[in-house]
Amino acid sequence: MLKGLASRIVTAFARSIQLRYVTLTVVLSTIALITVGGFLSYSIGNGLYETRIQQILQESKRAAAEVQNTLSGAGDTDTVALQGLVNTVVPNLEQSTAIGSRQVALLRTPDQATAQFLQSPISSELNVAVIPDSLRTKVVQTENRLVYRAVNIVRNGVTQPSVIVGSKISIPVAGEYELYLVYDIADTQATLDFFQRTLAVGGLAMILLLGLVAYFVTGRIVAPVARAADVAEELAAGSLDKRLPERGQDVVATLARSFNKMAQGLETQIGELSKLSKMQQRFVADVSHELRTPLTTIKLAAEMLEAKSGELDSKAKRSLDTLLSQIARFEALLADLLEISSYDAGAVKANLVRTDLNAVVGGAVAGLEPLAETLGCDLLVKVPKGLVEADLDPRRIERVLRNLISNAIEHGAGKPVEVEVGASANAVAVTITDHGIGMSRSQMDRVFDRFWRADPARKRTTGGTGLGLAISLEDTHLHHGWLQVTSKPNLGTTFRVTLPRKEGGIFTESPLPLGETLSSRSRI
Amino acid sequence: MAQKILVVEDDQAMSQQLCDHLENAGYEVYAIFDGGKAVDAFVDFAPDLVLLDWMLPNKNGPEICSEIRKTSGTPIIMLTAKSDEDDIVSGLEAGADDYVPKPLPSFKVLQARIEARLRPLRTPDVSELVIGPLVIDVLGHEVRKNGERVSLTPLEFNLLQTLAEKPKQVFSREILLEKVWGYPYTADTRLVNVHVQRLRSKIEDDPDNPRIVVTERGVGYKAGIF
Repeated sequence: MLKGLASRIVTAFARSIQLRYVTLTVVLSTIALITVGGFLSYSIGNGLYETRIQQILQESKRAAAEVQNTLSGAGDTDTVALQGLVNTVVPNLEQSTAIGSRQVALLRTPDQATAQFLQSPISSELNVAVIPDSLRTKVVQTENRLVYRAVNIVRNGVTQPSVIVGSKISIPVAGEYELYLVYDIADTQATLDFFQRTLAVGGLAMILLLGLVAYFVTGRIVAPVARAADVAEELAAGSLDKRLPERGQDVVATLARSFNKMAQGLETQIGELSKLSKMQQRFVADVSHELRTPLTTIKLAAEMLEAKSGELDSKAKRSLDTLLSQIARFEALLADLLEISSYDAGAVKANLVRTDLNAVVGGAVAGLEPLAETLGCDLLVKVPKGLVEADLDPRRIERVLRNLISNAIEHGAGKPVEVEVGASANAVAVTITDHGIGMSRSQMDRVFDRFWRADPARKRTTGGTGLGLAISLEDTHLHHGWLQVTSKPNLGTTFRVTLPRKEGGIFTESPLPLGETLSSRSRI
Repeated sequence: MAQKILVVEDDQAMSQQLCDHLENAGYEVYAIFDGGKAVDAFVDFAPDLVLLDWMLPNKNGPEICSEIRKTSGTPIIMLTAKSDEDDIVSGLEAGADDYVPKPLPSFKVLQARIEARLRPLRTPDVSELVIGPLVIDVLGHEVRKNGERVSLTPLEFNLLQTLAEKPKQVFSREILLEKVWGYPYTADTRLVNVHVQRLRSKIEDDPDNPRIVVTERGVGYKAGIF
């Protein structure tokens, strides 16, 4: 599922230039804002902290001096009075500050020879444990200077950023003490937090705005390109009159103008080509049409003679037979011409019916047996058992087979012609093999060309029109099938028709091999 | 008395051959080569049937056809070298009863078509048929709609009569081709479609919503039930 989502995102990126640029803008501006914001936040935070520390140090200095002076000036008072003094002056420090509350602790420096008789005053809310030992050591070692450290104090579960300032206090008689002032700098932190929050919100808004800006800007740049792509697509699909709007003088307008010029050229060229091709097709159709009336007349005349054939002598009768057979040939040629020109005009539709291919082959073979007999050629038919059913136009496929088999008989040099039917799940096929003179490679390439003959000088027995294979190829293509040929000079030729079993069915392999019969037979 | 056929064909050799064959078959023939003179010749000669070529000088086959149809229902068979499907339909729509493509398979085929058109109408079982507002006088070959005479060609009359005689039966196009046109085999069913349209345009109040000759989708036609 995650993979699917990822691939969808990748696809979306690959598809949309706009999405890519908006994302790039957002990512880059985020990096920029994080850098700038981080720097700002750091330096402002630093500034705030430094100012606060200076303030704290001044306050602390004053406080420490006050304590030192008070206690030094007390002279040799007794311990009770001294304790009293300490108890007054130290807690007083809690309040006397200009910058909010602080907590105070006066701790006796450990390891002193003198006895301890003063109670250390400690602010009620202060836990002495928060004062790190390292700080205390440092305070003891430092003379006449304040030592401070920033710490986080956890109180009632809340972490408070604080600064502890320590200084040495010498109390006459009582010995060495350390005064600690603990300042809560949460307000500074709050200020900094507020600033950072503002910066973050502002930055986020900025990124969104930049994204929007990028969206609109890229949109404006991409839109003409997208339109050009759409129009190009439509042109490719055949709507040759589609154009881009040409506005302004910028690069987009130049693109539109060049594009339109190209489209115009294309339209003109294609228009001329199709006009030419239409003219040619019209010509063939017109010629065929013009031939119909004279052919009908000749035919009617011959029929008239045929009715009187009893009155003719043998030579005249033979002439009449020739006339009738040539009329039939002429008619076949005209029918083929009309057929091919209707293919050219794209006016042919297949009439597909579920048919037994074996029966179609049988019909074609039966019709050609007289010809095979005349030429002394054996027809060897090999069909699978049972029905070989496929969706096909029986009239057209029988025509294809009749044409291929009669070609094979005619070119087979009297040797047997093999017809084989094969079937697979998706396709059916027929191979027709002769063992005649065969064809060279270059002859094979032209075999489906209209009016092409392998050997123009050779005598023709069946009076083929020269359009047979061209029509067979069109018929096969109409079924979305294959018509293939393989041939070897002096060994023979195999044609193979392969058709899909079902209308619109797809096959990748013919059920029958092409040319194996040819080579196996040739070895014998 | 021999039946008369007017041959309108501009190719003289073709016309000559047609005429010879027709005369051999026992018809009285009159040949016209110019399309422009065909209608006048039709009026003068008063043929029983017209053989009409498609492409003619001055006036083409369909034009002549529709002019003849303005005054007469005489059977017309078109000889057409056109293979284009739409052209055949336009010829039939102009009023031709039938068509024969060129080149003719043989003269016998043409002769069979001619005989089918000249065959007298069947002797009817009843003298009068009624479909809704239509009264068909079978003996008098007359159709009246709301008392007013409707002019039908013999073919159209035959078609209507065939449907009216069996008011509940649906006739397939193939059956109609056999019964009305006399085709012994399956032929171009557009003949039926076109003539049903022509018939409807004469007898229906609204030919687009026919009530007298009703289409049975996927089957054929039948007489409407009122």
